[in-house]
Amino acid sequence: MKLHKDIRVIIFIAAMLISLIAIHPAYNSHDGGFSSDLQYGLDLEGGTSLQLKLEGAIAGVKVDPAQIIEKKYSDAFGDIEIIEATDDEVIFRTTEPLKKDDVDAVGYGNAYVDGSEVTLTINKEYVIGEYLSEQLDCEVLYLGSDMYEIRSAVSESELSDALSDVSGSIATDAKGNLEFTETVTKETQETTEAILSEKLNIWGLKDVPITPVEENILLVDLAGVDLDTAMEIVATPGKFEIRIQTVENATEHVVWGEHITAVDMPRVRDGAWGVGFTVDGTGANAIRDAAVESGAVSDVAAHELIMLLDDEVIFSAPLDPELAENLQELYDKDQNVPSYSFVATTGTGDVGRENVEQLYIHLRAGALPVEVDVIGSWQVPAALGDQFRKQTILAGILALLMVAFVIFRRYRQKNILLPMVATSVSEVFMILGFASLIGWQLDLPAIAGIIAVIGTGIDHLVIITDEVLYEGRMPSRKVYLSRIARAFAIIFAAAATTIIAMSPLLFMGFGALKGFAITTIVGVLIGVLIARPVYGRVIRELLE
Amino acid sequence: MGNIKNLVTRFDTYVRTHKPEQLVTPPLIVLALALIVLGGMYAVTGSPVRLGFQFEGGTIVELAALDSNDDDLRLAFADYPLLSVRNSGNRRMLKFGPMEDDIEKSLVEKVNTEYEYATPEIKQADPVYAKALQGQAIKAIIASFCLMAIVVFLIFRTFVPSVAVVLSAFSDIVIATAFIAILGIELSFGTVAALLMLIGYSVDSDILLTTRLLKRRGNLDDKVTSAMTTGLTMTGTTLAALLMMYFVSTYSYLIIPSFPQISIISDISAVLIFGLAADLMNTWLLNTGILKWHLSKPRGRRA
Repeated sequence: MKLHKDIRVIIFIAAMLISLIAIHPAYNSHDGGFSSDLQYGLDLEGGTSLQLKLEGAIAGVKVDPAQIIEKKYSDAFGDIEIIEATDDEVIFRTTEPLKKDDVDAVGYGNAYVDGSEVTLTINKEYVIGEYLSEQLDCEVLYLGSDMYEIRSAVSESELSDALSDVSGSIATDAKGNLEFTETVTKETQETTEAILSEKLNIWGLKDVPITPVEENILLVDLAGVDLDTAMEIVATPGKFEIRIQTVENATEHVVWGEHITAVDMPRVRDGAWGVGFTVDGTGANAIRDAAVESGAVSDVAAHELIMLLDDEVIFSAPLDPELAENLQELYDKDQNVPSYSFVATTGTGDVGRENVEQLYIHLRAGALPVEVDVIGSWQVPAALGDQFRKQTILAGILALLMVAFVIFRRYRQKNILLPMVATSVSEVFMILGFASLIGWQLDLPAIAGIIAVIGTGIDHLVIITDEVLYEGRMPSRKVYLSRIARAFAIIFAAAATTIIAMSPLLFMGFGALKGFAITTIVGVLIGVLIARPVYGRVIRELLE
Repeated sequence: MGNIKNLVTRFDTYVRTHKPEQLVTPPLIVLALALIVLGGMYAVTGSPVRLGFQFEGGTIVELAALDSNDDDLRLAFADYPLLSVRNSGNRRMLKFGPMEDDIEKSLVEKVNTEYEYATPEIKQADPVYAKALQGQAIKAIIASFCLMAIVVFLIFRTFVPSVAVVLSAFSDIVIATAFIAILGIELSFGTVAALLMLIGYSVDSDILLTTRLLKRRGNLDDKVTSAMTTGLTMTGTTLAALLMMYFVSTYSYLIIPSFPQISIISDISAVLIFGLAADLMNTWLLNTGILKWHLSKPRGRRA
């Protein structure tokens, strides 16, 4: 059979062509260098890579809702006596007669009040969730079968303490272990990922690779960004809050950032950087009520409106007197405030501009559902990445030359040397083509993987050559076929062990080593399935 | 065929003239010594090898600050938990212990403003998470090894040859790890990757040897010789590639001063070089010895 009609050769040529198109190498006369569609990892391009742990816990909770009701309503109305309690209804008696509005304001259920006897319609999961949320000062979600997601960095003992106040406890599983894991749900991880991606998009970084690892870790790679900037954009929740000054040093919560509907582009107003935003109806009503109840409408100077980002004051100023008057009027008539625009200024100069940019991003994208903790980071300056890249290319070329030298010393035949080196180079080319095709970034570990594949690849070519040329020359066709079959039995066995040995890395938490494992596995597969069969065919042609 | 031929001849003569039990003794002694080294390290330091920052937590700052000496750097970073300053190629490596988030933040800002000219590389790992990764690393290595052993048993389906391959791979890893411990190389992602790679690599020559000896007809010693010729060429090419990788990633700054050291590639290649050196001994003495003993027994009594 002719060489060019051999199916193995056809597949090989097709794979090489696809790789060529995928890599798309081009000479760029403009800056006198080669360019390609290959994507480099941060360590070769410069930038910052962050490993973020999403702070939260999932726990089983065992508590009687009536105990929570007793505690909460006693706190509000003095001693209460529970008369009857189920998971849906709690009836209790107080010492003084109550008003329905006051009972409802406690917020754990809908009340029917008959003098001092109160019938509270409740939802067990809601009561427990609301209680934990208040105690732990964070969002709590019910997940079903008595499991709750606590969206905050809560420890086992903190949760245990919060529950023991109402005679509850963390549930135990069948083996008696506490059902408590420091993690978040898949949904929380996905939401966080989406909001982060949105923030980075607004900031001007398109298609930032964010990789989820396990359930509670995200890897974020930011090209061309230094570590301190990266941490400010990515590693802060961006929780925006408006508060109002009540007395001298005290403030009161008014509204969260989620009630912000539109955000204007930052610009300079009266010399200072500022960003305008609009608060929706609910938010505007909250501001109306807070402004009136705190007394801000009558004395704007003493009751400043304060804006905070992640609990830090970023802007504080008195209400516009005209607005104050307006709010008072609406309050008196019990009319809704349609929606209202505010401007938050962040200062002058570069600092002001930097701060306004961050505020703008957080206002637009909203807060992350959980806090994130940077558990690992790596900053590589662009100049250093560039040198790493040059150096690894140099290492690769020199390694190949050394290998070629050893091969030549052994066989002293260019009919063996050239196909061997060419096969090895073609394997690297196909790995790069594959990387480019699936848009996967080449980083230092991946390049180490490629060099490792050159090593095993050459080993396998040596096995094929020695097996076929057992007596030192090309055997008859029949013997050739049985020899090549035996050579491939050895090669496949060796390849299987390499792939198997690498596979644990694919499933474990080493984000940094995934690239290494994938390259090695893909490289070995490309080698044994596409390139090496052709080598076996070509040397027969050349040596016969 | 020059050097390789000479090497094969000398190795071959040794293998031909010694009894199986004489062949396996030196590698077993080296394996025992390596285990003693690792055990000793474990007893003294609580860990068989030194742990790098990725497994221990902390912050590393690398600067091309050629103008400032160590004392200047120590002074400049006196407010931070600076543990050591040392040279990494032509760059300075500052190692910090764990610190609070806001101190970390101020350190990063300081480095990026005051040392911007020195192309600062900053690596940081959270101690709690880093310690959790230690467990993961050990699990990865054990899982990888067990999976490899299963594949080897599936390939050969006979007890003694499979055990010989697995034992010699085990010995490769233990000896390579002992070298890591003796030379004070830190356990990093790179070294873990290299150990896993070694698990895959080390069985290549053993599989070749075992297949040739079990499946080919002919004189046993001649089969060993032919397997050795192929095997030594394989290890030779791989060692050549690794040595190049090691020198370029570790010492190229001596020729081109602007080139930094690439620690991950330097670590991977160093570990693989030791591992393959150990593999030469384990394949051609230990594994060959066991197979010779196994194949010289009367057929009916083989396991």
